[in-house]
Amino acid sequence: MTRALRMPALRAFTSPLAWGLVAAAAGLTLLAYEGVWRAALGVELLALAFWVWARAATDAREQIARWGWLRRPAMALWLAAALAMALPEAPVTPVAPPAPRAGLATVLEVPQLSRPAMPAERDPLAPLRALQALAVLWAGLELLGALPASRPFADVTGPLPYAGPWLPAVLPAAGFLVLWRQSHAWMNGPLLRELAVALLALAAALAVLRAYSRRTWTASLRWLAVFDSAIAALLVALDVVTPEVSVLLWFAAAGGRLLALATEVRGASGRRGPRVTMLWRLAGWTASASLSWMLLAHVVFGNGRWRIAEYVALAAPVYLAAVLSLRRVIEAPERRAVTRSDPWKWVGGAVAVLVTGVGPAAIALAWAGGMHVSAPEAALGLAPALLALAPRPAAVQTDELPPLLRAPVAAGATARDFALSVFRLVVTLERQLAAAVGALLRGLGAPARDLHTGDAQEYLLFLVGLSVLSLLLPLLR
Amino acid sequence: MKHDLLVAVTIAPPALVLWAAALAMAAALLLRLAHTPRRGVLASLATLLPWAALAPLAWWVTQPQGTTLARAALAAALAVALLARDREDRRQSEAALKLAWVMGVAFALTWAGESLLALAAGTAVSAEQWPALALQLDTYALWGAALALTLLAGIVLLGGAPFHFWLADVLHGAPAYVAPLVVAALQSAGAALLGSRMAGIAAFPAGHALAQSLLTMAAAIGLVAGAATLATQRRPERRVGTLASLQGALLLCGVVAGRTDTTAIALWGAHAALALTGAGALARFLPVASDAADPPGALFRRHPFSGALGLYALLSLAGAPGTPGMSLWLSAARDLAATRHPGLLLALALAWLVGVAVSVDEARRAFGAPTTLTAPSRAVPGAARAALWCAAAGLLALLLAR
Repeated sequence: MTRALRMPALRAFTSPLAWGLVAAAAGLTLLAYEGVWRAALGVELLALAFWVWARAATDAREQIARWGWLRRPAMALWLAAALAMALPEAPVTPVAPPAPRAGLATVLEVPQLSRPAMPAERDPLAPLRALQALAVLWAGLELLGALPASRPFADVTGPLPYAGPWLPAVLPAAGFLVLWRQSHAWMNGPLLRELAVALLALAAALAVLRAYSRRTWTASLRWLAVFDSAIAALLVALDVVTPEVSVLLWFAAAGGRLLALATEVRGASGRRGPRVTMLWRLAGWTASASLSWMLLAHVVFGNGRWRIAEYVALAAPVYLAAVLSLRRVIEAPERRAVTRSDPWKWVGGAVAVLVTGVGPAAIALAWAGGMHVSAPEAALGLAPALLALAPRPAAVQTDELPPLLRAPVAAGATARDFALSVFRLVVTLERQLAAAVGALLRGLGAPARDLHTGDAQEYLLFLVGLSVLSLLLPLLR
Repeated sequence: MKHDLLVAVTIAPPALVLWAAALAMAAALLLRLAHTPRRGVLASLATLLPWAALAPLAWWVTQPQGTTLARAALAAALAVALLARDREDRRQSEAALKLAWVMGVAFALTWAGESLLALAAGTAVSAEQWPALALQLDTYALWGAALALTLLAGIVLLGGAPFHFWLADVLHGAPAYVAPLVVAALQSAGAALLGSRMAGIAAFPAGHALAQSLLTMAAAIGLVAGAATLATQRRPERRVGTLASLQGALLLCGVVAGRTDTTAIALWGAHAALALTGAGALARFLPVASDAADPPGALFRRHPFSGALGLYALLSLAGAPGTPGMSLWLSAARDLAATRHPGLLLALALAWLVGVAVSVDEARRAFGAPTTLTAPSRAVPGAARAALWCAAAGLLALLLAR
């Protein structure tokens, strides 16, 4: 056995790279299936893959600490799976008739909490069912980078030396798969859809701001993968289209980013030559526009009312993402004197064409399935993406700016600095809030720890004290 | 027919418990051999025999006939006496001293409670006490205080927090080959004691309500405080002890849900003996928890498969998915859900989550950060590794049998 492992061919199969690949592939495959325990095992395997790779990395200690948080969503899903197995079937309650048109604003409206539960609706295990749904939602959102603790993961590279910059982009994909495949497990929880919509909208806005503020296209692509996955998850949370259509739209948008990132890691082969560059530019824009069009067309006249605030809140990030898809894909300069023929370039081009076609195909599928969008909705849904096609406006003179912005611009500040500042401000606030909660818990727990010295006499005194208490408690009834 | 008979003889609960007990004893013998390799097999077996007496004693406590309190006290006294024998071992002596003080007082108070209850009911026979008390001839203060005191020894024996210290002390102080036996025997005795006290209490609704609320409170405190302790502890042996205390709280949940039959306790004891043997032995090779990513110890560098099997025992103790321990937690959760105890079920879920998270962290720490240093030349004793294999084999058999 030992001799066999010394053979180079066999050693490749027992290397951390191979073990990690097997675990990650198995994990992602499991995520594509329904069933919370499958999702739990899938995320656990994904976390295991990152840990195996991190142990083998040259900066192992840093990488192990960096990706340790991946066990949190796995644990959340295990909790949900265990609760699903332990709790009996929920009692059947009369279902309220569905709203005529559920838009983003409808979901965000203040829910009716004052109605007392009917006797038949009272289920003592309802809080645990809510916890089960919350655990699934937590796992999905955390993998998507929509929760404070995990938000900055797309800023760093993964533990593999070659594919390191690409690896973190797998995580929002895993998050979307959890939210999409396990939607039955979390969408019926009280207030969870509202919570999910708010967090996903914030995550999408922050992701696109960070993508804009990053200078390298590789890093921006990782953030755009987070943005597209968050928008696709919004489609799921709002129940806009059928699951098949939403996954196709997500595959075109976020999957396209993952493929673009893969070409970028492989010597920027997606930007070598004007034609391939144009194809990838078109693919990114089309996929992103298809995804966002479906969402915006649904939101803009939610419940028959003109939802201007919600529309603008979503349209602005969509516009920025479309701009990035078009203007950041710049042809990479050829440094060789004689251009080497690269067959992968053509494969990449073919993939770009495929990505371009999937988004519109998904819309056609939705249309064939009976989706109806009025002309104003369609136009307003497409407006942000179309606006991005407009030529870049001429630089604005400092005198024409609002007074608040004149001093920073004069000092050399750019729109990118502004985006970075907003992102950092939100992340810092979130971290401080989490640190304050942690400090409060530690402060409450410290006296309890100090009480215990470990002396044998202390145990005896404690037992006597407890006995006296048990004697007194019945008297105090 | 023959197949059914074979199944009944080999994996039906009583046979399963015997198999598990035999494997646990074999693992204990191997650990004893690893502890003092020059003694030889027969001499090691001879030193283990007094400890082995704890297992039939624990089984005897769980039998419904006779006075359970006296038998449980006998089991505790034997454990203390055996722990106190080796005067040269300071940690073991300290564990024995603490156990003696706490168990002595707990049994004395419970005995006082039993006497008060007999005084109030006019009979010392447990089954006759509840109908007599249901006549409401005595003051609430008398029977209420008495009933609360009668539960004390059982709760202390189960080791649910805040009485979890004795488990951590025993697993830290006593040798790895005796600690699991002591813990499994005393905790089984505690569950049997509470079960016998609660038998037939439904005939006295007020007493039933009081006992249920006290036990629910004890179980909830045991789970929450145990989980909090587990998260802050650093020494692996004490972590294993705290996981054992969570198992005690699990038994307490079973008592709350009315599951105190002998078979359930025996199966639980079999799992606890095997999981504690593996986890307790493994803990001797694990590093103390720290923020720094340390290189793995000798066991995981030279014998990673044996280490992984030890981790399986640790994970089973925590109730990780894919282990027989998980089915124990799940069964307790189902019982609590069926009897509508959502608060306790929430505490159970929290404790399970912390237990599994800490165990997986422990597993990752055991494999540690990779190092270029040469592996230590001194191998881990073969007998200790064989004990880990033995415990894991027993646990896998339990998993397959279920």
